[in-house]
Amino acid sequence: MSSDIQTPVNYYGSEPGREVTSRETKRQPTPRANEARELYFEAKSSVSMEFPYWYTRRWEQLEGEIPIIRRAEALKSGFEHLTPVIFPGELLSMGKASYLRGSYPMPWLSEAFFMAAEDKLYKEAQESGKLTADTFTTMGKGGGNVTKSEGMVISIAGKFGLRVEEMPIMLEVARKWKDKSVDDIGHKYEQLVPGYSEKEALMRSVICMFDSGYTLPQGREVMNYYYPLQYGIDGIIKNCEDALADVAGYPDMDRLYFYKAVILMLQGIKHWIQNYADEAKFLASLEQNGKQKTEYLEMAERLNWISSSPPRSFHDSLQILWLFHVAVLNEDAISGLSPGRVGQVLYPFWQRDMANGTIDRARSLELLECMRVKFTEIDCFASMGVVGGVLSGNTFNNLCLGGLLKDGTAAANELEMLILEAGITCDTPQPTLSMLYDEKLPEEFLLKGVECTKIGTGYPAWVNNQVAMEFLVGNYSHEGMNLEEARAWAIGGCLETSPGSWMPLKIDDVIHWIPGGSAPATSVGVHFLNLPKILEVVLFDGIDMRTGQRIFPSHGYHLESYNELWQAFKDYFSRACHVLTLTNNIQHDAWRKIAPSLVNSMLKPDCLKKGKDIGQMGCRYNTTFNIESCGTANLVNSLSSLKQNVYSEKNYTLEDYRKAILANFGYKTAQETGSYSLIDQLPTADYVLWQKIHRQSLDAPKFGNDISFVDAIMKDWEDWFCEMTHNYRSLYDQPMYACQISVSTHGPMGAVTMAGPDGRLSGTTFSDGSVSAYPGTDKNGPYALFNSATCWNHAQSQNSQLNMKIHPSVVKGREGSRKFLELIRAYLRKGGFHVQFNIVDSRMLKQAQADPEKFRSLLVRVAGFTQYWVELGKQIQDEVISRTEYEEIK
Amino acid sequence: MEEDSCKNCRFYLPVDVFRGLCKLTKEQAGPDNPSCEKLERIPKCRYCGHYTSEKQFLGKCMGTILAYPDMIASKCFDFQWNRKN
Repeated sequence: MSSDIQTPVNYYGSEPGREVTSRETKRQPTPRANEARELYFEAKSSVSMEFPYWYTRRWEQLEGEIPIIRRAEALKSGFEHLTPVIFPGELLSMGKASYLRGSYPMPWLSEAFFMAAEDKLYKEAQESGKLTADTFTTMGKGGGNVTKSEGMVISIAGKFGLRVEEMPIMLEVARKWKDKSVDDIGHKYEQLVPGYSEKEALMRSVICMFDSGYTLPQGREVMNYYYPLQYGIDGIIKNCEDALADVAGYPDMDRLYFYKAVILMLQGIKHWIQNYADEAKFLASLEQNGKQKTEYLEMAERLNWISSSPPRSFHDSLQILWLFHVAVLNEDAISGLSPGRVGQVLYPFWQRDMANGTIDRARSLELLECMRVKFTEIDCFASMGVVGGVLSGNTFNNLCLGGLLKDGTAAANELEMLILEAGITCDTPQPTLSMLYDEKLPEEFLLKGVECTKIGTGYPAWVNNQVAMEFLVGNYSHEGMNLEEARAWAIGGCLETSPGSWMPLKIDDVIHWIPGGSAPATSVGVHFLNLPKILEVVLFDGIDMRTGQRIFPSHGYHLESYNELWQAFKDYFSRACHVLTLTNNIQHDAWRKIAPSLVNSMLKPDCLKKGKDIGQMGCRYNTTFNIESCGTANLVNSLSSLKQNVYSEKNYTLEDYRKAILANFGYKTAQETGSYSLIDQLPTADYVLWQKIHRQSLDAPKFGNDISFVDAIMKDWEDWFCEMTHNYRSLYDQPMYACQISVSTHGPMGAVTMAGPDGRLSGTTFSDGSVSAYPGTDKNGPYALFNSATCWNHAQSQNSQLNMKIHPSVVKGREGSRKFLELIRAYLRKGGFHVQFNIVDSRMLKQAQADPEKFRSLLVRVAGFTQYWVELGKQIQDEVISRTEYEEIK
Repeated sequence: MEEDSCKNCRFYLPVDVFRGLCKLTKEQAGPDNPSCEKLERIPKCRYCGHYTSEKQFLGKCMGTILAYPDMIASKCFDFQWNRKN
């Protein structure tokens, strides 16, 4: 290997000993949760056609009906016809579809990507650039992914299995939605945006990763369970009937249809729950084991009760929470539907049960472990580019802990301690946990969080409560947000700051103010802009050199100064934001007209009060569209290299750089090596011709080392980016804002990008997150990284993301925990918004890559989410291995 | 008529597209395994009097509505056993 970026593992501090160091010993889950998790480990992602069949059948029958009523009837039919499946030992039941990891296509959103490759619809989608990201995505080869067709099972998108006998109906149902789906209708009208062809060029070049209106139109938001917890389903129906009577015949008639639609949808959900109750009774009738029989009967009774009434116990409330979570997931393709601050929402029920002795800690822990397994079973059916390239198969159900109560005091409670304990004993990817760090939180609670992070789950991530609140007040005050309301926030999805509200849950005549989401989906604006690729296109005056296609018109600059280069970059970036905002607005408009949200709208304040769904700004806060970036550190490092090597020291001309980029610094291309991994690249015989420029590019100042030269570039970018996003208006005529998470996009986006002036090779993965250093380039220790990362005000953005990898020996024992907490505190006190950790010996990851079957349960943190190692694509696995491993934290 | 297999039995619990469990014995079962003597058919379109087959894996419900034989119809309000089966 000839250069630093080839080093597979980079250590800060001394290199650890030769023996692979394990993570600290984990505790085991209860036998019940363990059995459920074992069943999960053996289960494959499976697709069924039940829901979409009945949805489509009912939809067709109601041609000409008011659209929102038609949608409600279709959802009702889908819910009513779902076959209930209850797995042995479950304490919480119900799921998306009739498999353990079940999901289904939603052709009303998009029908093209899951059609057979030779199908005309698929080809049309491919030509418009919608599927380019799929081409550069690798799915994980193990775990629950159905990576290839086998026997009576067809593989879709490299992940989902579909029975052969359901394939013809899937295609037939999909064809029924041609020219009627959100995707097709949106596409028809987005072409009316002036300069539309530029949008398609952006998609084909993967400067933009994917559209948002029909892929994942909801999600990256926080659930609100208040209404079913307070009123029960019958209570909500009654409220809607009363409201309907009040508005029928009066102006603003949309309210009438909305209330009617909610009633219809809830009738479907009632039926769905009762079907599960019947199945539990049926299983009880077959059961010989007395204990299991009793559990089935209790389950049947519980489900029957909550199909109409509010919860009587903690167990009831947890079942309600879960079923409405699933119900929302069943109305749209969704990732990042976060349950929010569950430990605070359900605390009044748990506290009462504990007080009257109907539950103890052991039973609570068992229930919480079962909840973890149920959340982990969630799958999202979407294209390979979305599921693999963005989500890595993850669904991002983020549960938040800590933060502050309505009155500004610490919100941590005993139930949250148990949630952390369940995260330790039953380590699963879902729900991932986030600690809303505030100085007021008790030390014992924070140390419990550290204990959990230390075992290597990657959760909780550590998030700055005060920075988030500053962001929310700054961006939502025009909608009524104030400091008190800002305290109700939580993370939606992997790391999207989302507004919340305090809801008055009345139990036994006492009001408990519980937090819950009160805004629609975030991350529904411009989905991931490839920053290094835009710089590449600047250097080649508007041309994507991978495909030879023109993306933008000539920028007209000679690039004779750094300021000209920077200006050209800003011009192209702004052009991309402009056209993508407009086309996405049209897609979302098609979504709200064709497939308006009903379940989520019913749950979110103030939709029921206003009589308007989410798409009609029924929510209390609606400023949620954003512009997302990817590859920040590579952009900044590239600008740093050009500033130094071209404009300051004049070691090279821009033309020299163009040639070096086209020659990939003398390395084989990723296409030639067949790997887009940043550790697999091989030099050619010509490497020596490019060695010097490559060396000087690698040696240019790099972000993450507390070097003012490059940190100033970072600050310039952030200040400009965060401000310019406000110039774009969402569908709801609200200003947009910056969102800076990479999720998994740094893999496929790197794959389409030529070599960079920072020395990164063509096709290789970018740095993750937005303030993470590029792997191996942070050489001055964690505190230098923190200084660089906080060189700008993180409250300007919806988020920032920092990933670190720490060797397990560094944080071992009680002493290590305290040291670790001080490290986290140091970053957050500097104003960092978020930091998350992999506590792992990188050599263990390499062992797992070589022998995945032995590491089925190994979890790692990627960028905002925890995932099973075996379900990650190789691009992302290699990037995680390559991250700098901190062997010291002083 | 397709030979009966576990996937057509009301005691079959599908875990995924490859395998499931028997609700009676709690043992693993494959969807395409030949059924045992305890088989009780689960309502499916293929067993419904309203279903007519048109081609492999596709047919019509009540003569006009697209349907498919392996659809579980236990929650269908119109299902009625086809006595010819």
